[in-house]
Amino acid sequence: MFPLPQREPTAPTAPSGSTSSQDMDSGYGDALHGECLRKPDWKQPKLYGVGDPMAMFSSDSSCLSSRGRVIKWFWDSAEEGYRTYHMDEYDEEKNPSGIINLGTSENKLCFDLLSRRLTKSDMLHMEPSLLQYPDWRGHLFLREEVARFLSFYCKSPVPLKPENVVVLNGCASLFSALATVLCEAGEALLIPTPYYGAITQHVYLYGNVRLAYVYLDSKVTGLNTRPFQLTVEKLEMALRGVNSEGVKVKGLILINPQNPLGDIYSPEELQEFLGFAMRHQLHVIMDEVYMLSVFEESLGYRSVLSLERLPDPQRTHVMWATSKDFGMSGLRFGILYTENQHVATAVASLCRYHGLSGLVQYQMAQLLRDHDWISQVYLPENHARLKAAHTYVSEELRALGIPFVSRGAGFFIWVDLRKYLRQGTFEEEVLLWRRFLDNKVLLSFGKAFECKEPGWFRIVFSDKENRLCLGMQRVRQVLEGHSQVVEDASPRHTQDPSAGPCEQATALQAAEVPMTQTYRATED
Amino acid sequence: MVEAPRSLAAERIASTKAPGWHHAGSGQGSAKEPVGCGKARLGIINLGTSENKLCFDLLSRRLTKSDMLHMEPSLLQYPDWRGHLFLREEVARFLSFYCKSPVPLKPENVVVLNGCASLFSALATVLCEAGEALLIPTPYYGAITQHVYLYGNVRLAYVYLDSKVTGLNTRPFQLTVEKLEMALRGVNSEGVKVKGLILINPQNPLGDIYSPEELQEFLGFAMRHQLHVIMDEVYMLSVFEESLGYRSVLSLERLPDPQRTHVMWATSKDFGMSGLRFGILYTENQHVATAVASLCRYHGLSGLVQYQMAQLLRDHDWISQVYLPENHARLKAAHTYVSEELRALGIPFVSRGAGFFIWVDLRKYLRQGTFEEEVLLWRRFLDNKVLLSFGKAFECKEPGWFRIVFSDKENRLCLGMQRVRQVLEGHSQVVEDASPRHTQDPSAGPCEQATALQAAEVPMTQTYRATED
Repeated sequence: MFPLPQREPTAPTAPSGSTSSQDMDSGYGDALHGECLRKPDWKQPKLYGVGDPMAMFSSDSSCLSSRGRVIKWFWDSAEEGYRTYHMDEYDEEKNPSGIINLGTSENKLCFDLLSRRLTKSDMLHMEPSLLQYPDWRGHLFLREEVARFLSFYCKSPVPLKPENVVVLNGCASLFSALATVLCEAGEALLIPTPYYGAITQHVYLYGNVRLAYVYLDSKVTGLNTRPFQLTVEKLEMALRGVNSEGVKVKGLILINPQNPLGDIYSPEELQEFLGFAMRHQLHVIMDEVYMLSVFEESLGYRSVLSLERLPDPQRTHVMWATSKDFGMSGLRFGILYTENQHVATAVASLCRYHGLSGLVQYQMAQLLRDHDWISQVYLPENHARLKAAHTYVSEELRALGIPFVSRGAGFFIWVDLRKYLRQGTFEEEVLLWRRFLDNKVLLSFGKAFECKEPGWFRIVFSDKENRLCLGMQRVRQVLEGHSQVVEDASPRHTQDPSAGPCEQATALQAAEVPMTQTYRATED
Repeated sequence: MVEAPRSLAAERIASTKAPGWHHAGSGQGSAKEPVGCGKARLGIINLGTSENKLCFDLLSRRLTKSDMLHMEPSLLQYPDWRGHLFLREEVARFLSFYCKSPVPLKPENVVVLNGCASLFSALATVLCEAGEALLIPTPYYGAITQHVYLYGNVRLAYVYLDSKVTGLNTRPFQLTVEKLEMALRGVNSEGVKVKGLILINPQNPLGDIYSPEELQEFLGFAMRHQLHVIMDEVYMLSVFEESLGYRSVLSLERLPDPQRTHVMWATSKDFGMSGLRFGILYTENQHVATAVASLCRYHGLSGLVQYQMAQLLRDHDWISQVYLPENHARLKAAHTYVSEELRALGIPFVSRGAGFFIWVDLRKYLRQGTFEEEVLLWRRFLDNKVLLSFGKAFECKEPGWFRIVFSDKENRLCLGMQRVRQVLEGHSQVVEDASPRHTQDPSAGPCEQATALQAAEVPMTQTYRATED
């Protein structure tokens, strides 16, 4: 996560969280529990904005180029936020009073299954071609396997083709490459907010491409049947607004399942959004990195590759990776699927800088072709564990009377803590975030997702029960202490963090081999 | 989108028209026939890609040992983008030992990523504004053009060297401070800002090395002009002629400008693993290291590969007692074979005992001293099923130089040199249609014996990306 201390985007927005004087009692629909605070509104806020990644940039003189200084500044900004965490990471045995990380979106629930599969003997293999310069699109044997895998798991109407596949070392690299080959420096990609903030850097650091925000809000109205619902009308309005500011938009980024909302787009919605893009000749970058992490079957998730017909196949580019769905953010394996050979080739040309080890390519092919293991061992168990963890955290939230958004996909819950802010500002949001951190639990605050309403937080639940227990306990302590907060906001450490139900969970997990876990708490 | 410069090398790589390149560049399961085994002797012999194919047996054995398959949670989770600390510590130890640094090198000065191509891209981006330039002596390996340009929009400013040996030039293509000074002045006068100097040591394509004295002079030049120095030492362990006395810049007692001296290395060449994608940056400048690390998110290495590389680099016993001696012996033998063939043909060449290639002077075989003729000769080789690299791809200013890579099995070298000889000997009686001179029996003679000896090997389809690296 990048807790970038960004100032407000270029257009002024309403000072408070809500956007109209409409009645808020209806809540957020079936996914949300609890009441929301009603705040009056004064003026119609902007529904779009153009990102300025360098808004808070300040440079120290060095021998770097100007863009080198910016690139370094992004690193330093993140470091500032996570130095605290990395120096005091929770460990059941070595550091029980360390910080519990509920901020990084990583699935830590299935290391046992993955470890077993990745250390099977079929994973250690050597042949000359794996050690030699590869086709930068990726070895053919892997691209064939990817095509087969996607055809099966995305339920494509016709078999997908290896020649439309490019493999590389992760979706961050793919964002970088796509932004560079689709946009001129300074142009923009449309993206609905809230979104996971690291995309800002992915398109900017090399590509110099900006994001143009389609601001969504939590209010459920006639138009908005769900909180933070994207509609074509909002896309149209945002595009018009961004164009009117002289910024050229080349594409639209859609994330499905969504991060941080944990929601999905229906096939009908997908067709509408793709239709919007086609009308304006925008490329669509479909990020489906959580496509196998839909643990609520009834949601009826559909990949864009499952649609019978795409409005504009030459401008529809799908990305996926093993990072989330297979709990391997550190393995670095991502793919692009597109029928547009110009785009595929241009991306492949850059893939020399995003290259994958031949050994990893081989292992990924082994993994992806093992449909038996995936469908009968891994996915059922993974979904069951995700569901249980999700249930646990959502019940804790309900018990606390905290509204939240989550529909059964992804690793996180989007939590409404607006009532805990003394004022509806992002400064207050950060203060609350620090109070959590002082109490040794790391969450992600909404501003990092460019949420326009202060007070929303993302809680990641894809971790072991004892850690969730401890983490939620610490969250509760801050929130309950908040009503009696004193000015010095002193940390409220529990003297015995393992008292009560968390102690049992911790003891049960003590049998596990304690590993030092190095989290890079990145917003992915 | 800014177009990449269409150098001949870039056009060649992108082109699918030239039949040779369709084979070499195609990823479509290599319609190429397996080369050098009994079935299809008419496939193209690749003497163009700088890869060391001589030690697959040793590497295969080491990389499939059980200590290479290991799993722990941190390897599957988001890493520090500078690289796992355990690996950076191992890299620091490795470099300290094999570069013979005067003091132990530090892990905090190390950044790891997926290869030196990525490192060129990142360094160019963080050191230069778009449109600025990096000085580089020619001939150099042409892919660096793309590495600094595709993302970074940085250009190369050439310091042209020529083959003439004179009072100043004691060796062909010799770099001197005077030439650097003149080139810098000239480039500046054209309004182009130069931010750094790229030095490759050992050199590609020359197969030569800079002495420690020369290194100090060049680094001093850079310091005087406040230029960053990017030291590419990717062939540092591939010096098979011991008497050369190669010295890494990290072995120098004192650097003129440590804050602007950045060293790159990778396992691609020295450990024959171009496909593994593992490279490192060593610099004392924390601003540069941090900025590069920030971009390393896009050049990330799998945690599993990081673990394996640490295992490899820490195994000094295997490296020093098994791998390096055998590797050097094989490189030397292959080099000897090809250079003797060249001598027998009366062909001058430059090579001093480092790297995988010989820089060959074929100027007398050009009807005219032009790059068009050079390409025609290159095509005649390709039509006769042997792939070399032509000098223009290295920005050599004298037409007629070719690079021959010798780091491959003997039967292939034999066959390849035979095909080269056929073209050159046919050339003196060349007819206007330049028809290909396929030998009817390519395995006649000594190559046949070598081929039979190697027939026991499992024929692997080798997908060569004939990249100029």
